[in-house]
Amino acid sequence: MPWELKSDRPIYTQLIEQIELLIFSGVYPPGAKLPSVRDLAQDAAVNPNTMQRALAKLEEDGLIITHRTSGRSVTEDASIIKKAKTELAQEQVSTFLEKMRLMGFEQKETVEIINGIVGGIKI
Amino acid sequence: MSIILECNNLTKKFGNKAALSSLHLQLERGRIVGLLGPNGSGKTTLIKLANQLLTPTAGDILITGKKPGVETKKIVSYLPERTYLNDWMRVQQIIEFFSDFYVDFNKEKAYEMLRSLNINPDDRLKTMSKGTKEKVQLILVMSREAQLYLLDEPIGGVDPAARDYILKTILSNYNENATVLISTHLISDIENILDYVVFINQGQIVLTSSVDDIRKEKGKSVDALFREVFKC
Amino acid sequence: MLSKLLKYEIKATRRIFGPIYLALLIFAIVNRFTLNFSPEQWQMSAVLSMVVYISIMVGMFVMTLIVMIQRFYKNLLSAEGYLMLTLPIKSWKHIVSKLLVSMLWIIASSLVAMLSILIIALQKGDIAALIRESGPFFQQVYAYVGSWIYLWSIEAVIGFLLCIASGILIVYASIAVGHLFNNHRIFASFGAFVLLNTLSQILIVIVFVPLGNTCFPNFSFNPVDLMAMHCVIQGAIAYLMVITGLLAAAYFALTNYILTKRLNLE
Repeated sequence: MPWELKSDRPIYTQLIEQIELLIFSGVYPPGAKLPSVRDLAQDAAVNPNTMQRALAKLEEDGLIITHRTSGRSVTEDASIIKKAKTELAQEQVSTFLEKMRLMGFEQKETVEIINGIVGGIKI
Repeated sequence: MSIILECNNLTKKFGNKAALSSLHLQLERGRIVGLLGPNGSGKTTLIKLANQLLTPTAGDILITGKKPGVETKKIVSYLPERTYLNDWMRVQQIIEFFSDFYVDFNKEKAYEMLRSLNINPDDRLKTMSKGTKEKVQLILVMSREAQLYLLDEPIGGVDPAARDYILKTILSNYNENATVLISTHLISDIENILDYVVFINQGQIVLTSSVDDIRKEKGKSVDALFREVFKC
Repeated sequence: MLSKLLKYEIKATRRIFGPIYLALLIFAIVNRFTLNFSPEQWQMSAVLSMVVYISIMVGMFVMTLIVMIQRFYKNLLSAEGYLMLTLPIKSWKHIVSKLLVSMLWIIASSLVAMLSILIIALQKGDIAALIRESGPFFQQVYAYVGSWIYLWSIEAVIGFLLCIASGILIVYASIAVGHLFNNHRIFASFGAFVLLNTLSQILIVIVFVPLGNTCFPNFSFNPVDLMAMHCVIQGAIAYLMVITGLLAAAYFALTNYILTKRLNLE
């Protein structure tokens, strides 16, 4: 099944995000070998060149390593993964907080709402 | 040679009407390109010129640096917009035919694709629905190990599930040496598999860009941009 | 590649002729019997079977003509053209393959027609008599004209083939010219046929006949002394063959030009 891709944002940035999620969520744990570009592209139903760009960027960021003879794998360095994960989380939270602010909530109120919901989930 | 298709000042006139005017275009290998434009914009004319089904009025069109002819036909796999096979033939006979004339035709691949679509090779084309005929035609074209695939409206007459299969087939056929040029109206369906798009209108190229550049710079999908550019 | 084209061309056409040839031969046999019936009660059936036989004969030749036209038009200039003309083959090979197969069926039809007539007309002692007479006959001819008979036979065959080819090619050229028009293609093809025939006739009368006269002066036909003027006859025959050949080549060139430079499939 093709990945969920929105139509108004560059595909390759969305691919980067999706692969990061796969790494963060443990589908591709540290050190895991990644499928080939072609296979990933087919899986996602996107152009292989676009997938290639996404993987290249991830490699630049250190999340993925290319081995000369055996393809690509997730980095074994857990700290890089943790850092990227945290960065993503921070981004998401900032976006969320900004949205709440636009709706008229102050930060304190927002935190209360969050606690309320989290508390609800815990049950 | 990394440029697989090149048009220099390409002009094609029918009587006084110019279907293509001084068109310039370069396509590199290893790309999947969308040729997008409204009806009558010159898409089919361009593709026919590449197949030597038409001859230029002026300028030239080159495939791997050569004018369209026997040598280029060996490496170009063409899917016309219409059904073009003899209705009385059985699928298996058509496969033999293609095998006979095209060295790069891969019979096993063709039979495999037919199997996965539940098409019986013994059936005559006459007995098939329009959609199935179009799938057969596509299978024949994609079973060739060509360097340039020219697909004229490959997903027009088929249901969404078949469309997905066709796009999947185009993707799985991908190799860095070959280029696929898809002429279509159904942009949102194929946008994700394209690298580049070429907008053509009234015989001229209006825009060439990568899909992602369009999304980045215009903040919209190619489909949305198309509707904007070609608003009626 | 040409042999492959020939293979497919024959495959595509033989299905039509097999049954027709069979039907013709069967009705020839039927007629052979019914013609030998004298009583009035059989007369109706004799007439009927003769009518059927002749209809089949006529139908066979008509079919040969139709198939010749239809193969060229349908396979190269209609939707199938998208398949055939994008094959990695030069267009002239397409023309040649269709030409050769059309010639094949014309000759085959003629042979089958002759065979069917023989079936009807051949009397008991005929074959034996034919074999008996042919020996002395050929000896006489040979004695009279010598080994020239071989050359003349070959020339006759080639001339015959050239005529058939020329006839087919002028039809192809007419169809191709018709293709140039967007509307009323059939009228245009007929018009082209008439035009090409007329032009050829004019060409023959204006160019070839005077040319022939200057090359072969004092051409008087003396049937008694054929040998004496056999050189002149040779020249004349060769000349005729050259004219036919040139015209056939012209039709071919025109057809090829239209298929390569003026193609416009729908």
